[in-house]
Amino acid sequence: MRRLVSWMFCAVLAGMALGCAQAKKTANEIEVWHWMTDRQDSLQALAERYEQQTGIKVKIALFAPSDSYTQKVIAAAQANVLPDIYGILDKKSIVASFIKAGYVADLTEAFKADNGAWEKRLFAKAINNNRFVEGNVDKVKPGIYGVPLDVSNIQMVYNRALLKRAGIMKPPATFDDFIADAQALRRVGIPPFVTGFGEMWIVDCFASNYAFNIMGEAKVMATFRGEVPYTDPDWIAVFALFKKLADKGVFMEGIVTKGNKYAEQDFALERAAFSFDGSWCVNIYKTMNPGLDYGVLPLPPVSSNFPMRMWDGAGSSLVVNDLSPNKDKAVAFLKWLTAAEQQTYLAEKTNNLPANRDAHRAFTDVLGGFSKVMENTTHPNIWPLNEDPLVVEAFDKGIQAIMIGDETPQQVAGEVQSVKVRQMGRAARP
Amino acid sequence: MIANKYLIQGFFKNTLLHIFLLTVTISCLFPIFWMVRSSLMSNATIFVDQSLLPHEWNWHNYAVAWTKGNFGVYFFNSLIYTVSVVMGIVIISSLAAFAFSRLKFPGKDALFYMFIAAMMIPLPGSFVPLFVLMNKLHLVNTRFGYILCMINVGLSLSILLLKTFFDKMPSDLEDAARIDGCSRIQIWWHMALPLAAPALAVVVIYNSLNVWNEYILATLLLSDNNLMPLQRGLMVFNGAYQVDYPVLMAGLTMTAIPIVAVYLFMQKHIIKGLSSGAIVG
Repeated sequence: MRRLVSWMFCAVLAGMALGCAQAKKTANEIEVWHWMTDRQDSLQALAERYEQQTGIKVKIALFAPSDSYTQKVIAAAQANVLPDIYGILDKKSIVASFIKAGYVADLTEAFKADNGAWEKRLFAKAINNNRFVEGNVDKVKPGIYGVPLDVSNIQMVYNRALLKRAGIMKPPATFDDFIADAQALRRVGIPPFVTGFGEMWIVDCFASNYAFNIMGEAKVMATFRGEVPYTDPDWIAVFALFKKLADKGVFMEGIVTKGNKYAEQDFALERAAFSFDGSWCVNIYKTMNPGLDYGVLPLPPVSSNFPMRMWDGAGSSLVVNDLSPNKDKAVAFLKWLTAAEQQTYLAEKTNNLPANRDAHRAFTDVLGGFSKVMENTTHPNIWPLNEDPLVVEAFDKGIQAIMIGDETPQQVAGEVQSVKVRQMGRAARP
Repeated sequence: MIANKYLIQGFFKNTLLHIFLLTVTISCLFPIFWMVRSSLMSNATIFVDQSLLPHEWNWHNYAVAWTKGNFGVYFFNSLIYTVSVVMGIVIISSLAAFAFSRLKFPGKDALFYMFIAAMMIPLPGSFVPLFVLMNKLHLVNTRFGYILCMINVGLSLSILLLKTFFDKMPSDLEDAARIDGCSRIQIWWHMALPLAAPALAVVVIYNSLNVWNEYILATLLLSDNNLMPLQRGLMVFNGAYQVDYPVLMAGLTMTAIPIVAVYLFMQKHIIKGLSSGAIVG
């Protein structure tokens, strides 16, 4: 026993001796921290290519899962040891606090240089997610503070083989076509539509797509300002869509409690013919069912008054540490990383939609379908104002109640409006 | 007739007991079986094939897990961390527990309760101060820093366990050792440690499991891939949107084997350690 203890004591000393040296960073080296497991190999390969071209070594460090990564970034910020480039996985107010603490560089000048060449080659929506506008609520100096690596958007996907089995030769062009197709699918025993309606953000995304289509962006924003009530006929029409979909048997059983991960599994394994999912699904379906024959289309519009707007995902963005001595080198690397060649490489290897417009030209089929609507996407982050979170919660829960038949569209509209009035009253109090 | 009644009662009691034990055993072993089974499937079949044994055994997943997950380096690191941390904990906690149990010094109880109170602080709650402290000591992204932190994590419970054990050690044994000319440190080394073998086994296995499976603190303190422990390798297969389940399961199986082996090797001592304490020496 004691001999074992002695041996182990030596092992401790050896273990400690092996690990006392802290790695030193050279002036020609930049460090990137990220959380994107699926992009690690491609980023590493690009970093090596960059070193060959410029002589600057880029160290790509992956920290996953994202919760651990966030903890590390917060701790490193407090100890003032953030790397040259990193990402902040949090809401805009947290990004604002990093900016105010001096940990995020304002990249506006770099984007505007050479007549705005860098800014022009990236999707405006993707840049806007990293932009703080004049008069922002977080009181951050207006500017662009992050570099988008990729983008995403959320649309409807359909299984060609299942549609064919129900005698449907082309995907639906309108909402009524969609209902008719769903009923045809039901007749041959195929659940028509699945998505993760158990997750509030998907309910919100689906509903706001139709709200933009039925009443247009201006009226939606007017509602947020309290100028149009949720009991307005247009809003009731939005709520009524969910009732119609439920009544006509469009939804797969259990859809209201389903997480998106499980909905993705259902679609990939051909248990449902349609799904509402983000462009990241291309990777997921490829892994689960490489032979899946499917296509993508925007949600079929219910009205021709206003265009259908799709939510884009915020994508993945990186920021530059304002305190880094290698700030310029870091900016140069990000500029290189978002050039068309590198972005095409990243997209080919990872099946994510690149932030660079020119890199989108090569896409065909599904990824191309996601790619071509990028200019017509929207996101709450870039709206001039957002709805109160409690109103959003009442709105989403109300829609879930409609889907399971607990409430009518009119009841939900009334409830949401009463929450809205209450919240506006609170906000108006001095 | 009465004998028959007892026989029937005994039979039913035994049957019920065995059904219960069988159920517990199956519920414990089934996840492990499912992990190994899933590790032999492919991505195309894992969600479709509901059979107990895969139709095609895909051993290739293990090779992919080993190479893609860079398991060679991580295995070596985890081995260093586990041995160093466990040894550090055994030495420090046994010395501390012996002192708390056998020595008289001012503030002994307060100090002991401070150690015990440390158990109540959840690890994530101490992340930021720990990182700031390690950074000040220039120990961030070093093996030594991680080992020190992990020793610190395991100390409280180990001291409590060993102190309880030493408290029950007869003072006559200590007196006899002192008459034989042993100093305090010699009493700890020659008498207390050998007697505490069952309790030490519990400390070893508990902390080995803890260190072997730790990842969050490693992510926080280490940045260099070459310093990361084994659990880091598993993260490669667990993406933000997609998970490579068969390869992840193969990785999990490989990761579990050493720690299961340690447990099996030490299980005799563990059971003794958990049940003993009343009789020492």
